[in-house]
Amino acid sequence: MRLTVNGRNHDVDAASDTALLYVLRNDLELNGPKYGCGLGECGACAVLIDGVAARSCVIPIEGCEGRNVVTLEGLGTREHPDPVQDAFIREQAAQCGYCLNGMIITTKALLTRNPHPSEHEVLEALRYNLCRCGAHIEIVRAAMRAAGHALEARD
Amino acid sequence: MSGSEQRLRGSLSVVRPAILGAEGAFETFITISADGSVNAYNGHVDLGTGIRTALGQIVAEELDVSFARVVVVLGDTAVVPNQGATIASETIQITAVPLRKAAAQARHFLVSRAAERLEMPVDDLTIEDGLIRGHDNSSVSYGELIADETIRLELADDVQVKAVSTYSVVGKSVPRVDLPAKATGELVYVHDIRVPGMLHGRVVRPPYAGVDAGPFVGTSLIAVDEASVRDIPGIIAVVRIGDFVGVVAEREENAIKAAAQLDVTWKPGPALTDLADIEKALRANPSTPRTLIDKGDVDAAIKAAAKPMQRTYLWPYQMHGSIGPSCSVADYRHGTIRVWSGTQNPHILRGDLALLIERPETEIDVIRMEAAGCYGRNCADDVSADALLLSRAVGRPVRVQLTREQEHAWEPKGTAQLMDVNGGLNADGSVAGYDFATSYPSNGAPTLALLLTGRIAPTPTVLEMGDRTAIPPYNYDNMRVVANDMPPIVRASWLRGVSALPNTFAHESYIDELAAEAEVDPIEYRLRYLKDKRAIDLVNAVAERAGWTPRPVREAPEAEGDIVRGRGFAYALYVHSKFPGYGAAWSAWIADVAVNKATGDVSVTRVVAGQDSGLMINPEGVRHQIEGNVIQSTSRALMEEVSFERGAVTAREWGAYPIIKFPDLPKIDVLMLPRQDQPPLGVGESASVPSAAAIANAIYDATGVRFRELPFTPERILKGLRGEQPAAPAPLPPPKSAAPLDRWQNPFIKRGGILAGVAALCAAAIGIGAAVLPWRAIAPIARPDTAVYSAATIARGKQLAALGACAVCHTSDHGVVNAGGRPLEMPFGTIYTTNITPDVATGIGAWSYPAFERAMREGIHRDGRHLYPAFPYTHFAKTDDADLQALYAHLMAQAPVRATTPRNELAFPFNLRPLLAGWNALFHQPSTFQPDPAKSETWNRGAYLIEGLGHCSACHSPRNALGAERQTAYLAGGFADGWEAPALTSLSKAPIPWSEDELFAYLRTGESRFHGVAAGPMAPVVKELAALPDQDIRAMATYLASFNEPATDRSAREVLATGLETGTAVTTAASAGARIYQGACAVCHEVGGPPLFGSRPSLALNSNLHSDVPDNLIQVIMHGIARPAATDLGYMPAFRDSMTDRQIAELVSYLRRQFAPGKPAWTDLAGTIGRIRQTIAR
Repeated sequence: MRLTVNGRNHDVDAASDTALLYVLRNDLELNGPKYGCGLGECGACAVLIDGVAARSCVIPIEGCEGRNVVTLEGLGTREHPDPVQDAFIREQAAQCGYCLNGMIITTKALLTRNPHPSEHEVLEALRYNLCRCGAHIEIVRAAMRAAGHALEARD
Repeated sequence: MSGSEQRLRGSLSVVRPAILGAEGAFETFITISADGSVNAYNGHVDLGTGIRTALGQIVAEELDVSFARVVVVLGDTAVVPNQGATIASETIQITAVPLRKAAAQARHFLVSRAAERLEMPVDDLTIEDGLIRGHDNSSVSYGELIADETIRLELADDVQVKAVSTYSVVGKSVPRVDLPAKATGELVYVHDIRVPGMLHGRVVRPPYAGVDAGPFVGTSLIAVDEASVRDIPGIIAVVRIGDFVGVVAEREENAIKAAAQLDVTWKPGPALTDLADIEKALRANPSTPRTLIDKGDVDAAIKAAAKPMQRTYLWPYQMHGSIGPSCSVADYRHGTIRVWSGTQNPHILRGDLALLIERPETEIDVIRMEAAGCYGRNCADDVSADALLLSRAVGRPVRVQLTREQEHAWEPKGTAQLMDVNGGLNADGSVAGYDFATSYPSNGAPTLALLLTGRIAPTPTVLEMGDRTAIPPYNYDNMRVVANDMPPIVRASWLRGVSALPNTFAHESYIDELAAEAEVDPIEYRLRYLKDKRAIDLVNAVAERAGWTPRPVREAPEAEGDIVRGRGFAYALYVHSKFPGYGAAWSAWIADVAVNKATGDVSVTRVVAGQDSGLMINPEGVRHQIEGNVIQSTSRALMEEVSFERGAVTAREWGAYPIIKFPDLPKIDVLMLPRQDQPPLGVGESASVPSAAAIANAIYDATGVRFRELPFTPERILKGLRGEQPAAPAPLPPPKSAAPLDRWQNPFIKRGGILAGVAALCAAAIGIGAAVLPWRAIAPIARPDTAVYSAATIARGKQLAALGACAVCHTSDHGVVNAGGRPLEMPFGTIYTTNITPDVATGIGAWSYPAFERAMREGIHRDGRHLYPAFPYTHFAKTDDADLQALYAHLMAQAPVRATTPRNELAFPFNLRPLLAGWNALFHQPSTFQPDPAKSETWNRGAYLIEGLGHCSACHSPRNALGAERQTAYLAGGFADGWEAPALTSLSKAPIPWSEDELFAYLRTGESRFHGVAAGPMAPVVKELAALPDQDIRAMATYLASFNEPATDRSAREVLATGLETGTAVTTAASAGARIYQGACAVCHEVGGPPLFGSRPSLALNSNLHSDVPDNLIQVIMHGIARPAATDLGYMPAFRDSMTDRQIAELVSYLRRQFAPGKPAWTDLAGTIGRIRQTIAR
């Protein structure tokens, strides 16, 4: 099966009902998408499929044929981060960082469809992305920064 | 760095003798290489708090090098010192002390060496990033001073460290070093480790979910049937040792499949402690009282109290809930065993692993990688042991990933805790006495594999950890504090705040109750008993920051509609580690809440969290810890509680164990007291400790009602507001055996209560069949040459095959298209569909057209046998000859597949096919379709397609007792494969009537905005229909629409739909079912939710929620949608292995109540769910 991930084609030798997550992690050796729940509940595995956020743990690769998959790695690198990644690093928007992939991808998807979200819209967009450490405040600040909002300085 | 330095090979290390290993072995704290790089080693690990960054700051400061130069190495047992487990907020306060001294010692050594080299007194030297300068601008670098020497200093105790006033790196906020890698997907976590030749493992856990003590532990496995996974490719091994069961496969998805599919037989479930009533269970648990303090005369004081007050506070079982389930990679080789782990205690784990596999510790290297945040002991150690067992079994590296369900069920829980307070007030409002007893059942959760394999005995030992902050911070004259040490009930260990959180909930609630009774402002009342200067400063600072107004007497707040607001205070000094322990940071909260008196919802709107942390190494890191603690502990107080059934953990996904979501965050105002001149204190947990009491006190302020039990769910609040005692959830009604009488029973699917109908079928058929002559065979032919058919004919035949959905029944799961073998379950046995590829020996290659036509029109096999009417020849007979020819051409043009299908397994007399002659005589009219001249051409085209090859009514019409479609109830709804095939006529239960356009959309795309998506057996049907042109689909829609009321226009339907959706919008989560919806379903189904790949079916409009029967809703929850009609629709996961029957019942009842509010509740959900669960088991 042929998959297009981060702009490159990959021929994958896996059963068509294999969840995209496992192919991304094991065959393509990508670290961005994480296994969190396998049920699409937590968002740790998020990727972009044709620009829309998708939960790669519940989407088999057969559903991705002919589509464009983008992972965290496809957004940018340490040297050339995507503006959303850059905003998350600048706002120190993680504690353990395991949910970070989903937060960044979800924010990226939000900004693609709504470049200037309000804080309320950011909170609602992230409603179904779980963070357990409590990095929420910085995550929201990062999303607001990425959306071009000026942030209040912190004392 | 100069060129000369790069060639130098020396190093300077500060070490201490090792406890383990050969004579002369040592542990290193710091190494400065001659190239100028600095490695710092610490035995604790970074659990996601950013401690790595803070440790780097400490080293940079004391060594006078730039922060960027320092690499902090954590948790690799081969190189870091053994400093015990990363617990109790100790890293900065305790574990960093020798590291700091080591850095200072190295600096002193290098400076004195420089003084010699530069021939200057030490006091005349300055250091900048490892370069030592004299006043005459002469200089020498650390590297040059080390040169080629290997210098090893033994760590001294009396090292002079820097004065805080001279700090330039410590005390400044520094960005975390780990985030760029984490934000860009570099290899960071143990989950990311890939070792050459690595295999994938999964474990299968025993049925006593989450319980690790008792004679059944390690002794409950009866059998593992390895043959049950033989069909899965790349299975390397099935491993069983005691109750430890694991599978290893080449590919991860196949290990997942195998673990799910493996047939494992366990002994019947042991009787576990019932946890429906936690208080009762804790009181019944044997315990040993341990008096922690006894001063004054408590008994006499309480006896003399003017107002005695006896109170009980109860804390539920809670979870770490790490976002990433634990993972590990183990590589077992002779002599060198490497285990990559997310453990919080690498050295202790190494000891456990050595015990498990009976090898010396020195052969094992535990390499600690980062993992998802944990807040104490989760399954990180368990999975490391699992991986090691599997790697040893197969002799190759194995990666084991626990599932979400396993992590939830088996992680050592933060234990439930019971706090009894006896005390009261004197007449002057002072505290008479304080008699506090706390019960904390835990054993610290031994590594699971040790128990499952029987390496250690599953005896419930006791861990004395109930004493954290058990002594209140108040100077009561008469006070007794007792810790009732007790063994675990379910697997439990430490979770952030440990017992201090529940103990403080009791202390701080109780003093609030005392203040209220004494009619004194609660802060003022506390200050009367608080003697610690720093505590008093903190309390005052937080009160001022929050603008606290004294409230000696509670005044009912002004309600805003249903909302009442309140404010509460709580304070704690988190005292941790072995009793009497020591204090971490001081913390105080003022929480503001809004309580909805109609729904019971509590919203924490703002928290002012003040903290005295002593010296803050990285103030921004401290702030993050405070915020994280506030958010997590607010979540714990408001909504977190592990659920159990018959004593086993049932919360296995985020719907059953919800945690706080972004829109519910409080505003947080962090107040960090400047105490840079004081020693640094642990900040990882302190800000959690006052949480629950501050919120409970605020709820009291808002409502006048005291809540002494967590979590503050809407149900609990409503009950409290109504003055009711909280009760355990009502048990589900017992399952009933018989289905409701008005339900039609399809004899062609397996289902109970059908035997009477079958007997009637036999009697009738024997009577009639006896009068009918047997059919003759039609001679076999050589496989026909399809060259005689035009490409157009064959193409048309392909469309017709799609219309008839031949491949849906004639293809087995994972089988070749049309090669047959799909089992059709019937009450009298199993029929296997046949091979309809043109293979001469096993398929229909020897069938002439007349033989094919006879089968299609009369239900007779080429050899003269009757076909069972599971094959819908009663419909196919309506097809005209040209279409049958085309279909024949297409089937014969397929590639032949040699595939023998299994023999039918039918009991006597059902294996007597001639009886079907009687059935045909009664119910079959083999005549072709006759158009209705009164109807349009399109309508007639639709009728031909639907009544003929489409055979829609085979599923969508009810059948009579003999299994024939009831002509008087055409398309009035039926059942197929355990799914309801809903009525396609005006009898439809859909809240918005079907229109031609919606029928077209549904059949064309698999989705209708106003009804939902195709699932179950309908999904492949729609998928097949993709082969048909639009005009045929339109004709089918036209025909079906004629059985419905004339449709309103689309805009009217849109108004209706929006009305239904807004009228059923979910605003509260006041039941277990509602919380499951919000955690598991809403992400894809909530109207207006953020877009995700795939469709977003609206439950308010969904026909299945409005049906008379819950079957389809239950089916789709259990099975999900793995093969949608089109990939654009997206996929739905199956929840059958993540939810119990009871949870599904709660969810289904909630969905019905919420989204079909006008419809009566479904009855016998337990029975229906159990029946569907049984069909899965088969």
